[in-house]
Amino acid sequence: MPRLSDSMEEGTILRWLVADGAAVARGDEIAEIETDKANMTYEADAGGVFHRVAAEGDALPVGAVIAHVLGDGESAPSGGAPAAAPAGPVAGEDDSAGGAAEVVSPAPPAGSAAAPDASPSVSAVGDGSEPGERIKASPVARRLARELGVDLASLAGSGRSGRIVKADVEAAAAAPAQAPATAAPAPAAPAAPAASATGKGDVTVVELTSTQKTIARRMAESKATVPDFQVRTEADVTDLLALRAQMKAARESAPSVNDFVVKACGLALREHPRANGAYRDGAFELYGRANVGVAVAAEGTLIVPTIFDADAQPVTAIARTTRALAARVRDGKILPPELSGGTFTVSNLGMFGVTSFTAVVNPGQAAILAVGAAVQRPTVAPDGSIAPRALMDLSLSCDHRILYGADAAQFLARVRELLQTPFALLA
Amino acid sequence: MSATAERPVAEAAAGETEVMTYREALRLALREEMARDERVFLMGEEVGVFEGAYKVSAGLMQEFGEDRVRDTPIAEEGFVGAGVGAAMLGERPVVEIMTINFLVVAMDQVVNHAAKIGAMFGGEVRCPLVIRTPNGAGNQLTAQHSQSFDQWFASTPGLKVVSPATPADAKGLLKAAIRDDDPVLVIENLPIYKQRGEVPLDPDFVVPIGRAQVLREGSDVTLVAHSYATVRALAVAEQLASQHGISAEVVDLRSLRPLDVETVAASVAKTNHAVCVEEGWPTYGVTAELAARIQHACFDDLDAPVERVGMAEVPLPYAKNLELAAMPNDERIAGAVLAALSRKN
Amino acid sequence: MSVATAPAPDVSDVAALAPETRRELYETMVLSRVFETEAERQYKAARIGGYCHLSSGQEATTVGVVHALQPDDLLVTGYRSHGFALARGTSPEAVMAELFGREDGCAHGRGGSMHILDVTRGYYGGWGIVAGQLPVATGLALALVRQGKPQAVVCELGDGAVNMGAWHESLNLAALWKLPIVFLVVNNEYGMGTAVGRASAEPELYKRASAYRMHGERVDGDDLDAVLEASERLLRAAREDRAPAVLEAMTYRYRGHSVADAGLAYRTKDEIAEHQAHDPIRRVRQQLREAGVAEVELEAIDKRADERVAAAVELALASAEPDVAQLAAGMHASGSAEQFARMRPGSPFGELALTFDAGLGA
Repeated sequence: MPRLSDSMEEGTILRWLVADGAAVARGDEIAEIETDKANMTYEADAGGVFHRVAAEGDALPVGAVIAHVLGDGESAPSGGAPAAAPAGPVAGEDDSAGGAAEVVSPAPPAGSAAAPDASPSVSAVGDGSEPGERIKASPVARRLARELGVDLASLAGSGRSGRIVKADVEAAAAAPAQAPATAAPAPAAPAAPAASATGKGDVTVVELTSTQKTIARRMAESKATVPDFQVRTEADVTDLLALRAQMKAARESAPSVNDFVVKACGLALREHPRANGAYRDGAFELYGRANVGVAVAAEGTLIVPTIFDADAQPVTAIARTTRALAARVRDGKILPPELSGGTFTVSNLGMFGVTSFTAVVNPGQAAILAVGAAVQRPTVAPDGSIAPRALMDLSLSCDHRILYGADAAQFLARVRELLQTPFALLA
Repeated sequence: MSATAERPVAEAAAGETEVMTYREALRLALREEMARDERVFLMGEEVGVFEGAYKVSAGLMQEFGEDRVRDTPIAEEGFVGAGVGAAMLGERPVVEIMTINFLVVAMDQVVNHAAKIGAMFGGEVRCPLVIRTPNGAGNQLTAQHSQSFDQWFASTPGLKVVSPATPADAKGLLKAAIRDDDPVLVIENLPIYKQRGEVPLDPDFVVPIGRAQVLREGSDVTLVAHSYATVRALAVAEQLASQHGISAEVVDLRSLRPLDVETVAASVAKTNHAVCVEEGWPTYGVTAELAARIQHACFDDLDAPVERVGMAEVPLPYAKNLELAAMPNDERIAGAVLAALSRKN
Repeated sequence: MSVATAPAPDVSDVAALAPETRRELYETMVLSRVFETEAERQYKAARIGGYCHLSSGQEATTVGVVHALQPDDLLVTGYRSHGFALARGTSPEAVMAELFGREDGCAHGRGGSMHILDVTRGYYGGWGIVAGQLPVATGLALALVRQGKPQAVVCELGDGAVNMGAWHESLNLAALWKLPIVFLVVNNEYGMGTAVGRASAEPELYKRASAYRMHGERVDGDDLDAVLEASERLLRAAREDRAPAVLEAMTYRYRGHSVADAGLAYRTKDEIAEHQAHDPIRRVRQQLREAGVAEVELEAIDKRADERVAAAVELALASAEPDVAQLAAGMHASGSAEQFARMRPGSPFGELALTFDAGLGA
């Protein structure tokens, strides 16, 4: 909802002037909006395909999403009803970035949908030093935010001119952490070695961090309560690796193989709803978004940050997000919202040379995919010749209460198929 | 006060205090120092027969004679310079300038002579001169008689500048100034002369030069002030507590050069907010120096920019309503505190 | 442009000056002249910086008045100070070292040419603001009175200073309070480049004393005996009767206002030459000859002066420059460092704290 007058706080969509799905050009009139002062006509500030979100008659605050204008190759963000994005400070910037230009003013908050390439603040990982948009915070607020691990970008300032002040940071730091994992990747402090009488040498007793305690509890819970089974296959990732190499040559960096796996899983989950759900209290819970958790090893612990909407995000975005999240995990700056909301998990030990393994289902999810290293192996081509191909092991552990053998197999087959036709992953 | 005038100075016991006005405290300091050291003498317009334009020296000429309480002609440059010369030969003159507005006439002697002697002559000779003068406005004295040039002198290396805000500090700092071997400017204040307070009667009670004092403890904001601005700040702090629930800490500078930045910085580090108040014009003023020091010393502790309140930047007009509006009144000080705390009320 | 002078002193007064004394005074005058000439040379060689005001040509006034001072009398001057310091007995090396800005200078390199002083000899500077020294000198005299001391103060000033307010205020105070002070107006006909007649409504400057009911008189400043007589008389009156006075000494400076001034924009070379024809040093030399002093002895005196000044230059060059770490040395009395200790945070000097740590009143 654009701010069409200096005092406007809310607007009502009187009439849409373009059809849903129609092509619009920059400058075309797309809506009639009623403001506090007058009825105004709103013009598109970018060209593309018009995708309506709000309905005629909806009254929404300035900054709420009312429509999308999609660029080539972009698909509309998922999710049914339009979520009214919080109306942050209306800076009057025209967010007409090259890609999907949302008809909304401020940058999207952490973890929201559709973070296009050109958007200045990239998803959840902004802190006070993002180059794109300077956050107004007092010196003591910045210092405290650093010390307490609070993300300034996630705060609204209560000081003058919207400045973030000390009280804001203190309040955020005191807010209760969300389950399951609180970010505490600090190395465990070893206790003094106890005297040994067992013949096993000196015994060092190490206290668990809260994260380690959580992992222990949940893994035991999973094994005890989840009737799990595994299905395995190998994906021929020769073409995928070639594509990667080309991308790398073209722009110096390319998504990792795991990023492609995440994307493939996201797309496959969209097609297999039961794989994107959970057995809970005697019912299936099927989730509307495909959020893939990526297991990251940090000092002495295991953290699983979430890639939201892995199906809709371009693999390059997935790559960027994953890298940033991993960095935050390593720096101990990951926040609860970034660790929750996952509907599926991918765990990859290929970088350690592991060719295949079995992962433990995350309680609350239907399945977890264990990915091994891509290894050159001799394979038999259709004409009977022997050819070296890069093969990568995919092992899916599933909760048999929701996923049955055939479901699991089909899901896994789809993942494999996508990985073997890598261009499908570039959307 | 008459009881104090009759009580011989030597008999006062350490620790004993008496409530008296700022003016009386100054007089007591002069009496004690003149009794203690025959080199101390008072010089200025109307200090003798007239008993002082603001009655600070009342009774002193009767007690010490006209050689030690010396009336001068209206010749600030002349008798301030005479004070400089006498001090160079080991005397301890206390030169009274009726108000700081007239000290401007003698600027050359203060800045080019008194302040330079120690450094310019390589430490070969000292100048233990004291100049006392009130600053301040109020009572419609208008443009030429309502100024506070504290900063002109506080920014001059070679000088020491003190500015007591309470009767006890008036006594203690004037004594410290007289005993100091360097030229010291003691800036008093017109409306403050009648303020009452507890004053130690110990004749060796001296307030060290270069030490600020926290007069009121608080946690939300630091008010930094000197002279009459301290009186205002204390009143505003009370009002802020009762009307807004704001806990203000008040730091009284007491000394402008040297300036006790450590005490100020420690306070701002604790409260994260600073509001500096002065009677003079804030542009290039004492509060400007404070703001610079605070932002430097407390950069990572500031939750808001340092606020400054001073006299409005005009030659002070005569009309009462204009004068009240121009002065750093309680309303403006409170407003600055609310602004620093990002509060509407 | 010659000026009417007071009547020539009695011949008997001339004879009253012992030959030995006259020779000593002559030696001092020569030393002063040689020193000033060398100072000009050193200034042009860039060893002396800032302002350098020379008194070449005014030696009879300088040496004569100073000789009339008793050891405990006090002296205050403006910025044309070198001759006065030398006449008072300060060593040429101490003065030259100060001009060179060295540690062994009178003010340890902190003051320079305008701020020579010698407290041990009662010379309280060396001041740079025209007429600014008058109130200070008045204060010194006031202190002498308060301390019950029988001494007097000579306050030297130039003809340009008499138009400053400080002249008026100081003379008034001196007369009002009966201070033992003689205001020595060295009238060398020009205040910088402005002839006295163009600056002063009353160009006979000694007459202004009468506005304060103070005694004033004029003397031929180039006549050593006349200067001696007048100074001794007026100083005695000051000491004994607490009677201040103005003594206007008519003289002439051969060099410009300062070394930076060629001195020709406002006067002609002829005028300078005319005065040089009556060079006070040559006059005294002649008197010495007439009194029987041998030529070789006079030449020896000249040579000794040259040697002393040359030695002064050598010693001054060998003297150390002041320590930068002592930048603020002397500014404050000892014990002041403690007072300033809490002013350091946020200091514009940062860690260096050039002022606060650099020798501040430790």
